[in-house]
Amino acid sequence: MQRESAMRGSRRREQPRMNMAPLIDCVFLLLIFFMVSTTFAPLPGIRVKLPPPGRPSTEKPKGLIMRIANPEGSEKFGTMVLNDEIVDVQDLIFKFQAAPDEAKNMLVIQSERNVLHEQIVIIMDLAKRAGVDKIGFAMVARGPGE
Amino acid sequence: MMFQRKKREMPDIPMAPLIDCVFLLLIFFMVATVMRVNPPFKVFLPDSQVRQDFPRKKFNLYISAAGQISLDDRIMPTLDDLEEVLAINENKIETLIIKADKNARHGIVIDTMERAKRRAIENIAIAVREGEYAGSI
Repeated sequence: MQRESAMRGSRRREQPRMNMAPLIDCVFLLLIFFMVSTTFAPLPGIRVKLPPPGRPSTEKPKGLIMRIANPEGSEKFGTMVLNDEIVDVQDLIFKFQAAPDEAKNMLVIQSERNVLHEQIVIIMDLAKRAGVDKIGFAMVARGPGE
Repeated sequence: MMFQRKKREMPDIPMAPLIDCVFLLLIFFMVATVMRVNPPFKVFLPDSQVRQDFPRKKFNLYISAAGQISLDDRIMPTLDDLEEVLAINENKIETLIIKADKNARHGIVIDTMERAKRRAIENIAIAVREGEYAGSI
């Protein structure tokens, strides 16, 4: 009896030998997969501001107001009106630069529905380059379900 | 004879620290990885020279040239569906990044922004591709 228990004790204390190699292979594989699939490059974008939800404000927005009409016929881009003045994209940046500093605080874009997104981004790009701080979009207030 | 035998013996390298290190790297990359999901349509982002940097995260809103909306890889048939999904994930969205095709209509982009706004998603950004606009207006 004594001998048997001694034997069992020695067996228990023996380290089980695990084969680690396949596990390590597996971990390496996962490591390489995650290394390859990770991208650290940030996403380029332009931040926009929206008017607060709820009731539409009655006061006239301060800053620059850009209105864009739907493109007509074969035109790609619609007509742009900056503070009641028709502007061309070529001299749009100069108009933005020439604007007084307090107006440069904010640009509000009021655009019709069929204007291309590309045109909006061009305007935002030019405005940001000219030093306009914030860009916002005007929205038409509509009830839910409309 | 004894000399030769010794030479053939494998040198004993301790593997444990190496494995620890590899596990650490694995966990780091697992945490840092954001799986990129693509929408079921192609999106050509508009060009812009100005850019701000945003971290790549989940919940990007894609808008196709035809006006289809997709949140990551899930097509949203109507704006109400979009609003519903945004409402569920409201707390997980820090900045809603809108990746709209350059030929998408502005109306649909505004519609999606309005829905996001209704769900109190304050930070909205429009994704661009870095580069000078090549054409003329």
